[in-house]
Amino acid sequence: MIKAIEYFLEIIRGVVITGRHFFVNMFFHTLKVLGIKTKRKGAVTIQYPEEKKKIAARHRSLHRLVPGENGKPRCVACMLCATVCPSECIYIEAAEDPDLEMQKYPAKFIIDIGRCCFCGFCVEACPEDAIRMDTAEVELAEYNRDDLVYDLDRLLR
Amino acid sequence: MVKIFINEMPVEIEEGTTVLKAAEKAGISIPHLCYHDAFPPEGSCRMCLVEIEGLPKLELACSTRVREGMKVFTKSEKVVEARKGVLEFLLAEHPLDCPICDKAGDCKLQDYYDEYGLFESQFSEHKEKRAKKVKIGKNLIHDQERCILCRRCVRFLREVIKTQELGVFERGIHSSVNIYDLTPVNNNYSGNLAQICPVGAITDLDFRFKTRAWFLEKGESICPLCSRGCSIIIEYHPGHYRFGVPRKVYRIHASKNQEVNGFWICDLGRYGYSYLNENRLDRIIVNREEWRLEPVWDIILKFLAQKLKRLEYRGKTSRIALILNSWLSNEELFLLHKIFKTDLNAEKVFFADPPQEEGDNFLLTPERSPNNRGAREMGFDIKPVHSKALAEETDLIVAFGSFLAEADLKGALGKIETKVLFTSHVSGLNSLFDIVLPTPLIAEKGGSLTNVDGRVQKFSAVLDPPGDSLPEWRMLAELGREAGINVSFYREFTSPEEIFEGIGKEISFFRVEK
Repeated sequence: MIKAIEYFLEIIRGVVITGRHFFVNMFFHTLKVLGIKTKRKGAVTIQYPEEKKKIAARHRSLHRLVPGENGKPRCVACMLCATVCPSECIYIEAAEDPDLEMQKYPAKFIIDIGRCCFCGFCVEACPEDAIRMDTAEVELAEYNRDDLVYDLDRLLR
Repeated sequence: MVKIFINEMPVEIEEGTTVLKAAEKAGISIPHLCYHDAFPPEGSCRMCLVEIEGLPKLELACSTRVREGMKVFTKSEKVVEARKGVLEFLLAEHPLDCPICDKAGDCKLQDYYDEYGLFESQFSEHKEKRAKKVKIGKNLIHDQERCILCRRCVRFLREVIKTQELGVFERGIHSSVNIYDLTPVNNNYSGNLAQICPVGAITDLDFRFKTRAWFLEKGESICPLCSRGCSIIIEYHPGHYRFGVPRKVYRIHASKNQEVNGFWICDLGRYGYSYLNENRLDRIIVNREEWRLEPVWDIILKFLAQKLKRLEYRGKTSRIALILNSWLSNEELFLLHKIFKTDLNAEKVFFADPPQEEGDNFLLTPERSPNNRGAREMGFDIKPVHSKALAEETDLIVAFGSFLAEADLKGALGKIETKVLFTSHVSGLNSLFDIVLPTPLIAEKGGSLTNVDGRVQKFSAVLDPPGDSLPEWRMLAELGREAGINVSFYREFTSPEEIFEGIGKEISFFRVEK
């Protein structure tokens, strides 16, 4: 019996907290509408996905392979990103480039975004600045796991 | 014996040894690039400088011989400073290629820079541009920028192989290693050059850009491609199961074994590793549906044991035919000899080995299987498959290996009631036999082999055997036990070591002197 009363008390406390936030925010928003400036502002919610917040300059989003001057990736397939990757989601197969300055290029470059933890170590490890996480693409959900495996064509841009 | 002091630690060492070897024996490593145990000291890299009390200048550890009471310092301030200076000069012309260099990861120059260098370069000049991709042999690429002119490759070809294809051309800053008159290095030991190069100047086309050294796991084994039995290091990648990449052997290096192969292996053994990766059989196949056998070893074992028992009961054990090969280890041959020759009296025993080819006078032998000598010492008479003798009056055939010629067998097998094959690879033979059992290769099991000189060498598994395959010795020991002919004898054998002990008790050749 006493327990049942405690439950009700908790529910009432919850309603009071929600109500307090509602009315306090309502009060400051009303003041703003009336043109009265206050130090405190009412809480703002962004209407995602219609509205989107600006992404910070040093964010980490979907990877991309930076193209060099000739349009091919800058990557020399040194596999340092695959080495440093803590979730082992990068797989590279190297091949011989006829260009003597390059020598080595990635024939296959696969990132399994489904495993990636977005730590950004690959970007730090890259000696050629060939991989970056600056595409500002953060909505990466897919219906299929296989679609989360990005290959060279999808990464190069 | 003389007594010297290395970093004030007394070391007793034989007269005539060099300071470098003495330090190595005492557990102190002195960095060196041009020195290699197989050659006399050259002293061109200057990395092994040490301070010796009483001498005004630093001395080369690789070529200075020990004297009674000599006091050597390998880590004094002067030495550390000198090492740094030497490294700075070596790296003055060495490109910053490490990300695309195959040697990175087991490069000595890289290791030494990390250990003794760590300086900021004082050179403001550009590094000299040189040829980066000179093909100097069938499998070798020379990068003249990376070369530090230690001349290990030149000395290897001059002193070990004696073909002398390489030399150092030009002088001073222009000096470079190259081939004479466009005759490439084309001997059977060229792969060793890529292995002894302390930097990434000589790289192997076979391994070039395939993977990075630090991804590979290593294990020591014995090369089964000829009867020399060279010690090898198998380097493999366990596989990315997430990307559907299977386990793969990437390269084979020579391991040091003074009694057999020294520091070298031939190109046949070095590049002939594809048999470990390709076409492997990983499950038991039963081709006779009417037998209703599940492809599980325990069930097959009972079936085979039953067969043997029945043949023995009827006194028809001479109707068993065996086809063996010299890829089987001593332990396996011993068990086969015991079960089929001693216990069952099978007479038709043939050997199907790869055909003999020309050897060279260094390491490669004409016999292209590792345990020819072992089979002979075990009491087998090595005779090739005789298909007519095989076909006549045979009820059961037990064959091993994938060196059987299909043409030899096709006619002979038709009349035989039960045909069992132990093989490691998928081949056309698999459909000719009733039961096919997958087996591991030398690198995937334990045991011992007897090389051409009669040296018995033990080896243990480096790689995991694929799928359902079980080592032959285990299957044979279980078969011997299950067939119930000499149960107490086979019961003891649960590891290759125990079988080897058993061999020693019976055959004096394999007895280990204690």
